[in-house]
Amino acid sequence: MQAEIPLQTGTVNDRRTKVIGPPGFSPVTLLRSLGGLWQYRDLLYTLSAHRIKVRYKQSVLGIAWAVLQPLSLMLIYTLVFAVVAKIPTGGTPYPVIAFTGLLLWSLFSTALTSSTSGLVSHAHLVTKVYFPREILPLTYVVAAVFDFLIATFVLIGLLIYYRVPPTMNLLFAVPIVVVLVFFVTSMSLVFSAVQVRFRDVGVAMPLLLQLWMFASPVVYPLSAVPERFRNLYSLNPMVGIVDSFRSVVIGGTPLNLRALGLSAVISVLLLPLAYIYFKQVEATMADVI
Amino acid sequence: MHDLVFDHVSKRYRIRHEVDAHATRHPLIRKWMNLWTRPEDFWAIRDVSFAVERGEAVGIIGHNGAGKSTVLKLLSNITTPTSGQITINGRLAALIEVGSGFHPELSGRENIYLNGSILGMSRGEITKKLDSIIDFAGVRQFIDTPVKRFSSGMYVRLGFSIAAHLHPDILLLDEVLAVGDASFQAKCLDRITELKESGTTIVFISHDLRAVERLCQRVLLLKRGQIVMSGSAKEVVAAYQSDATLSSESVEVHKKGETKEVEIRALSFRDESGQLKPIFQTGEALVARIDYEVHQPVKDAVFALLFFTADGQQHCELTTELSDDQISLSPGKASIEFRTPELGLLPGVYFTSVHVQERNARDVIHYQYKSTTLRVDFDRVIRGNFFLPHEWSIRQVRNGQESEKEVVGSTR
Repeated sequence: MQAEIPLQTGTVNDRRTKVIGPPGFSPVTLLRSLGGLWQYRDLLYTLSAHRIKVRYKQSVLGIAWAVLQPLSLMLIYTLVFAVVAKIPTGGTPYPVIAFTGLLLWSLFSTALTSSTSGLVSHAHLVTKVYFPREILPLTYVVAAVFDFLIATFVLIGLLIYYRVPPTMNLLFAVPIVVVLVFFVTSMSLVFSAVQVRFRDVGVAMPLLLQLWMFASPVVYPLSAVPERFRNLYSLNPMVGIVDSFRSVVIGGTPLNLRALGLSAVISVLLLPLAYIYFKQVEATMADVI
Repeated sequence: MHDLVFDHVSKRYRIRHEVDAHATRHPLIRKWMNLWTRPEDFWAIRDVSFAVERGEAVGIIGHNGAGKSTVLKLLSNITTPTSGQITINGRLAALIEVGSGFHPELSGRENIYLNGSILGMSRGEITKKLDSIIDFAGVRQFIDTPVKRFSSGMYVRLGFSIAAHLHPDILLLDEVLAVGDASFQAKCLDRITELKESGTTIVFISHDLRAVERLCQRVLLLKRGQIVMSGSAKEVVAAYQSDATLSSESVEVHKKGETKEVEIRALSFRDESGQLKPIFQTGEALVARIDYEVHQPVKDAVFALLFFTADGQQHCELTTELSDDQISLSPGKASIEFRTPELGLLPGVYFTSVHVQERNARDVIHYQYKSTTLRVDFDRVIRGNFFLPHEWSIRQVRNGQESEKEVVGSTR
């Protein structure tokens, strides 16, 4: 109990000067924000690891939940769409169609739902200590990506079971997931920031996600959408992402580069805008949370 | 070399007034109307400028609502100023609310990493200091147990230990010294003094005037969002105290438009001879006088005077409720005096509230909250939570016979 705390000896002159002014935007502030985020990278790591640990602590099935969730959804949708409604899938087994979609969708919806409430549920921290607030939504994205990686093993098992041969196109899966992570990150930043002021967002989230899921080719193939609606339909970035992921994994249909390109462009442009918006809200977040 | 500069800093909050609940019935319509009401500006601090030298310890004091916590929030970058600029030179750490970043499910060790990184330490730094943090908190046995199984004492010790291992250039202190038991507080203060001696710049924002006086050379006095005085700790604290006891504003809580049966006019503290007295010594006689005016007769009135500590805890009260004697009030001006022969309060500043009500009535007739403060000093050391008046005597045994007891001393 009576241990001495060593005091730092010798003055090192590496003091950082920080200037806090009224909120405003310039490219310099964006760079400075990124610099601040980099400084706090250890917190991002610790908090993300903590998210993952806490989620499965004291639950009997533990990490298996990451697998069970998309798997059971797949079974439900298989029952509905393949057994009852008999949706045409062009020869691909429906469970594979559903699982490829649900795998990405779980990542998207888990990250978005949890990060939206993320700032508000940490109000005690936000009003007490400073750290770049974007870390909170980001940790939820990281945790969702972690779950995604676990669930990927089920996909591999499924592909082996249904004897879907892998192609070189499979390598495209990585950039597709990166585009998805970009997109979900920007959505998380915006939604969590809005939630601070308007709690309506969190309440509306389940409904919004439900609608969004059926507006994306998650539980049905893109081919089921009538041709004349396709262009409008593809404005939803999730369309290009889910469809191209499915086509590189299953390999039957050619990769629709146009839809994927559109999603990629939207996601890449959206992220800095979302970040700027988030930072703008962050300035007075503690006053309204 | 300045470590901290506040340059014409102002902070505005916008307060939206709710539309009167009686105006419209439907909550949705009310919400809609709320959207169109103009928010009112409230300047928590206005045009505040000051600078803190490297290695200096500066205290900031002021009444509730003077803008202290806004300054704290601005300094720790929790919120940003509406105008003006704050320059911080070096690593700033705020030692506020020990343990607020703990997660109950995680072990002590995991929480050290979590809390440490929230406070701005890198993982490498934490790993290096891990042993020292655990030993200082004295929780080595339990370090791999989830902190939800910790006793509250262990919790607080671990939280403080983490914060104490930050090596900031600038240390921001809140009312941290108000938590925990006396030995913990002493340890806290020792560590802070140690940091101060090693050249850490300190900003201490507190109600605890004694601690401020002890720790800071220079003190700033905030009043209604502005710095009204800056000077040596002694000077400013003295000015603040006289200001607090003599010209306090009364915050009244009563229903609008209703005339009260009884109105409390003033509360003053006096010595036995009835003279006003600004500062009392522990153990001294105290007379608290409440002046009031009766508008309508009250049959069985109860007066009470409550004392609160700086952190808002109710400390003790003087009340006429303890006796069954009826106090009936008839219209006119009057005053009531509470007397205590030996003041049991320990040194400190106490907020008061006065209320008058009818015995067993649900509503108070008049209530004056935290309008006056009582300052208690004591030039000798006294331990514990309150002062107990006492005397002592000695009985000598001579030739197997006990002598008459002799009174040797008393606290009077």
